[in-house]
Amino acid sequence: MKSGPLFFIALLGVLTVSWASFALGPDMQLRTLAPYYDATFDSTFPQSPSGLAARGRAVYLELGCASCHTQQVRRSGFGSDHERGWGERQSWARDYIFQDPVQLGSLRHGPDVATVGDRIESEAELHEMLYSGSEGMPAYAYLYEPAPPAAQANPLAVDQVAGREIIPSRRAEALVAYLLNLKAPAAYAPEVANNAVEEGEAH
Amino acid sequence: MSSDSHMAAADTDTTARGPLSLLLASSLAWLVVAVSLGLVHAIQRHTPSFLETIPAFTYGRTQAMYETALIFGWAANAAYAVALWILARLGGGHWRGLGLMTGGTLFWNAGVTIGIFCIGWGEGTMLRFLQMPAYVHPLLLVSGAAISTPAILAWTGRRTSGTYVAQWYAIGALFLFPWFYSASQVMLLADPVSGVSRAIIGAWHAQNVLSLWLAPIALAAAYYLLPRLTGKPVPHYGFAGLGFWVLIVVGSWTGGRHLVGGPVPAWIPATGIAAAVLLLFHFMLVWMNLSPALRAGTTDPLRFVRAGIVAYLAGGVLDALVSLEGAAARLQFTHFQTGLQQLFVQGAFGLLVLGAIYDLVPRLTGRAWPSPRQIRGHYVLALTGTALSVAGLLIAGWIQGGALLHADASFAAIAASTRPWLYLASAGELTFLLGAMVASVHLARLLLGLCRLSAAGQSTATTVTAS
Repeated sequence: MKSGPLFFIALLGVLTVSWASFALGPDMQLRTLAPYYDATFDSTFPQSPSGLAARGRAVYLELGCASCHTQQVRRSGFGSDHERGWGERQSWARDYIFQDPVQLGSLRHGPDVATVGDRIESEAELHEMLYSGSEGMPAYAYLYEPAPPAAQANPLAVDQVAGREIIPSRRAEALVAYLLNLKAPAAYAPEVANNAVEEGEAH
Repeated sequence: MSSDSHMAAADTDTTARGPLSLLLASSLAWLVVAVSLGLVHAIQRHTPSFLETIPAFTYGRTQAMYETALIFGWAANAAYAVALWILARLGGGHWRGLGLMTGGTLFWNAGVTIGIFCIGWGEGTMLRFLQMPAYVHPLLLVSGAAISTPAILAWTGRRTSGTYVAQWYAIGALFLFPWFYSASQVMLLADPVSGVSRAIIGAWHAQNVLSLWLAPIALAAAYYLLPRLTGKPVPHYGFAGLGFWVLIVVGSWTGGRHLVGGPVPAWIPATGIAAAVLLLFHFMLVWMNLSPALRAGTTDPLRFVRAGIVAYLAGGVLDALVSLEGAAARLQFTHFQTGLQQLFVQGAFGLLVLGAIYDLVPRLTGRAWPSPRQIRGHYVLALTGTALSVAGLLIAGWIQGGALLHADASFAAIAASTRPWLYLASAGELTFLLGAMVASVHLARLLLGLCRLSAAGQSTATTVTAS
């Protein structure tokens, strides 16, 4: 090739088409998604998380939890997500409109957490897991701290060291609030209809 | 292709000696840092309690620091050095803009250092290949433009009538990187999109780093070195340009394949899978042109180039096969994907660019490498390390994926079944680290020897002038 400008115009054109198709296009397609009003419950879904849960999402992000846990349930028949009880239906884009930033994850070193709030029995169970770790997960003991000397007994204490209870820090409380907030979302009529059409076409 | 036929005056290389040596020394220093972090990360895969009491070395942060040091530390410095060298040599002109390049290198490395400390501090973004906090990336964008200045001047001031495909790959990578990097920064960090668009654009960005930046630089090195080292022309040179355009056009589309089954519009993974299969055409063209290197002689740089070409082709074919939906159901979200990335970054890009470095340093410095034995030692360690770590991750991922398909397999049982292979991957990372240390010490010896020689020369000149 001898024509320099043409070469660069072609390169720029190729990248612009790619950007318009895979960055701008999807954003324009998805940015119109809004909470779905369900007349049965007289409420909109998904619901915006509480302030503490939103702060917990930031803790989830800065610890890099998404490098071991996904937050996306795949459809029945594609993997064993459904059989593992991670969700009755696959995750849809509308489920994430209040998650800022979204952390879908790319590795399942541990289980998917898209609906972990439905599977955990209690707040204390999650704190115990985070404080002690497990065979496949490190302990996050630095998220816990000794209770103030005159403090009353804390039901969420995870340990006792030198006569003082080890209790969750604000970050640990926020992280647990966030995880407990992750629950199976409602079914939205537009997505249900779309998927029914797609499944019909597939059959 | 006679790559040196248009070489400029002999002083062309000496003028760039300092700035290019800075880039090369930075790249190998970052390689040691990156692979050290990679070793910590690899150990944490099978022993999660390793360094668990240090927040900066939490599993997620270690991975982000490792990836950043590898891509923005080692790969970026090495890529700039090799691309600049190729463009200057094949352009036949004189080096210009070296001051900007040196300043850019210093600011780039300062930015990456700050970025890695910030990730350890908990300010990472958890976006693949964009892990550093938002305020670091503009500095890298400007620094990268400054480093590229001599490349642009070499291209515009070239003395040749035509251009070689090695130049296309090199200038193409340097031209496309700032465009997609700035677009990603705006859409993901400065004015971030909401919802799953973040994951889609994140996948687009990550694929561009591999397909539009690192792969073209690796191929520029391969197309530049092959005729030089084998003494034979590229056999189907007419198709080399087609291979370039297929990679540039289709490579960027393949990012969506990682989102198969995810909460995104179905056309995105479908296009990604189709593009990954279409990209096999590019790998076929590369095979046609670069396979003679696999049967040619055995100089030290050629060993690296040969292994890099095999890794590039094997990774491309595997990637296409694994992107198919049947395979993805098993291997998505497993160590297999990490192994494929390792095969490309450490194997294909790493070995090809190391081959280029071993070839260009003697011509840049005017001195032979102090110890051919150390080059061979590095080759054995780098090849063995890459093979062990990639094989360990691929096998662990295959086992992990099979077990994940069975709902009754617990994560503790999956971790236990993959552990032996993850040990193997750690052993590979350690071996690769030893090789990187050998190469760094080797380059340091050469450059220090050059500094001593230069100081002695100046001293002699001063004495002569004084007398």
